[in-house]
Amino acid sequence: MNLVWKLLRQHISIPQFAGFFFANLVGMTIILLGMQFYIDTQAIYQSEDSFMKADYLIVNKRISSMTTITGKSSAFTLPEVQDFCEQEFVERVGLFTSSAYDVKASFRLDEKTSFSTEMFFESVPDEFVDVKSDDWGYEQGSYEVPIILPRNYLDLYNFGYAQSRNMPKLSEGILGAIRLKIEISGGGARDEYEGRIVGFSSRLNTILVPQNFMDWANEYYVGTKTKSPTRLIVEVNNPTDERITTYLQDNGYETDQDKLDASKQTFLLRIIVGIVMGVGLVISILSFYILMLSVYLLVEKNSTKLENLLLIGYSPAKVSKPYQLLTIGLNVLVLILAIVVMMAVRNVYLEMFQTFFPDFETPRIMHTYIVGAGLLVVVSVLNIFAIRSKVMSIWKRKD
Amino acid sequence: MNTIVLDNTLPKVFAQVKDLKSEVWNHEITFEKEQLYLVEANSGTGKSSLCSYIFGYRKDYEGQILFDGADIAKFSTRQWVNIRKKSLSLLWQELRLFPELTALENVIIKNKLTNHQSRQQIETWFDQLGIADRMHAKIGRMSFGQQQRVALIRALCQPFDFIFVDEPISHLDDTNSRIVGELLTAEAKRQGAGVIVTSIGKHIELNYDKVLKL
Repeated sequence: MNLVWKLLRQHISIPQFAGFFFANLVGMTIILLGMQFYIDTQAIYQSEDSFMKADYLIVNKRISSMTTITGKSSAFTLPEVQDFCEQEFVERVGLFTSSAYDVKASFRLDEKTSFSTEMFFESVPDEFVDVKSDDWGYEQGSYEVPIILPRNYLDLYNFGYAQSRNMPKLSEGILGAIRLKIEISGGGARDEYEGRIVGFSSRLNTILVPQNFMDWANEYYVGTKTKSPTRLIVEVNNPTDERITTYLQDNGYETDQDKLDASKQTFLLRIIVGIVMGVGLVISILSFYILMLSVYLLVEKNSTKLENLLLIGYSPAKVSKPYQLLTIGLNVLVLILAIVVMMAVRNVYLEMFQTFFPDFETPRIMHTYIVGAGLLVVVSVLNIFAIRSKVMSIWKRKD
Repeated sequence: MNTIVLDNTLPKVFAQVKDLKSEVWNHEITFEKEQLYLVEANSGTGKSSLCSYIFGYRKDYEGQILFDGADIAKFSTRQWVNIRKKSLSLLWQELRLFPELTALENVIIKNKLTNHQSRQQIETWFDQLGIADRMHAKIGRMSFGQQQRVALIRALCQPFDFIFVDEPISHLDDTNSRIVGELLTAEAKRQGAGVIVTSIGKHIELNYDKVLKL
């Protein structure tokens, strides 16, 4: 056995180091788990609308009983749209175009189950839809139309219909493969199209088709190009800008409340996770303190041995090394165990996530590893310097 | 290292003492290689302090101590580590052995650092000094006389230009004292090193080149 280690391991207090070990393990696990949980939950929020940027607002006029009684239009007039465009917080404004023709859609799930419904289409300018241009577009003469459906439809099926009839839950991927049969009629013409679902949106409560299809179909089946839009899609430079709320209120407009709710939830979640990680950090700092106290005590108890080693020619670096390796070893062990515990807990909640969100894509764990490794490096470097300086104080003791 | 010079060196505690009679303190003394010195001292005259100063262990002195003309007060940690490993050996009066280790381990822990002596040589020395049977005994269970011999072997397990032995035979009988003297001078001669022996009474009988009264 290494003789220096044989000397320096004297007076090592197992309970003290065990205390550090478990305290640090708890602290580290809380930090890593908090972080990974945050990343994982963020993925749920973010996965909701991959093809619609977060800083888009959907604006419509408030519909009240008065509007219904007086028959006042809920559509935006041209001056109103122009006024909106001129606001400082607005980047660009897109108009919703609704279908003037009749739409009937049906699809077959299996032998027994098929759905059929009257429906409508809407479209927004293509630059507001964040889907690969190959997927989003319509070629005249083609009988295939890409469609974006509201996620509510999927939820309605999964949590309502499928649940009550013991039918399998459908993911976005599976549903994306199913073709909708679409029947469009107007102006005496009737044609069948195939609808290809390219995505689901929880922001847009409408069935979206490409703008060029809408323009063409309105012209072809009804002969009208545009109806006044009832909804606007607005890109703003900062969704939290207070001027937006004021402007909307002053003009009697409404925006999608969901998005604000989601951001509230994210905000609260961030605070909660922040507090939890803070607690973990405090525990870790305290455990680091225990470790440093233990090492200082150990160095103090072994100071004569350390001094004699230094006097027979051992360098401070060589004498510090066993204690440095000991603390680094403990830190590495703590990190590995913390990661193992974190993964175990994560697997449990990921299972729940996947039950509720069939499309949940497990985010990478890399960020958490990096943070764990970063903490390991910081703590180890602090340990190395603290031990070294303690040994140097013995070297310099003199007099 | 070829010379050690004490340039008007004086322990700070002696600064106020009037009519200090010493041939070392407050003088210019030069220790050279291949010479044999005896520093005789009475109790409390700063014998161990002298060893501590030269070994860079204490700095509570006035004046200067120079190794080859360089002031040792300015040496870095790295320089001291090198000097203690390669140029200067010291047999402490209080020995500074590790009671948790065996006699042999106490020697090996030093020799591992310097790789200077063979295991065989070390065992031969244990044998010559009459403690071969105690080689694997814990230092804490050995008499002070036996420990002194272990400490001497350890002091020889490194290259050196000067070796200081602080009362090396205070607890040894005449036969063992003679053997210690022989081993010490033989190894010093082999390395061409200077030997400085301190004593407060009983000292090794050797042909000293210079005797100084501290």
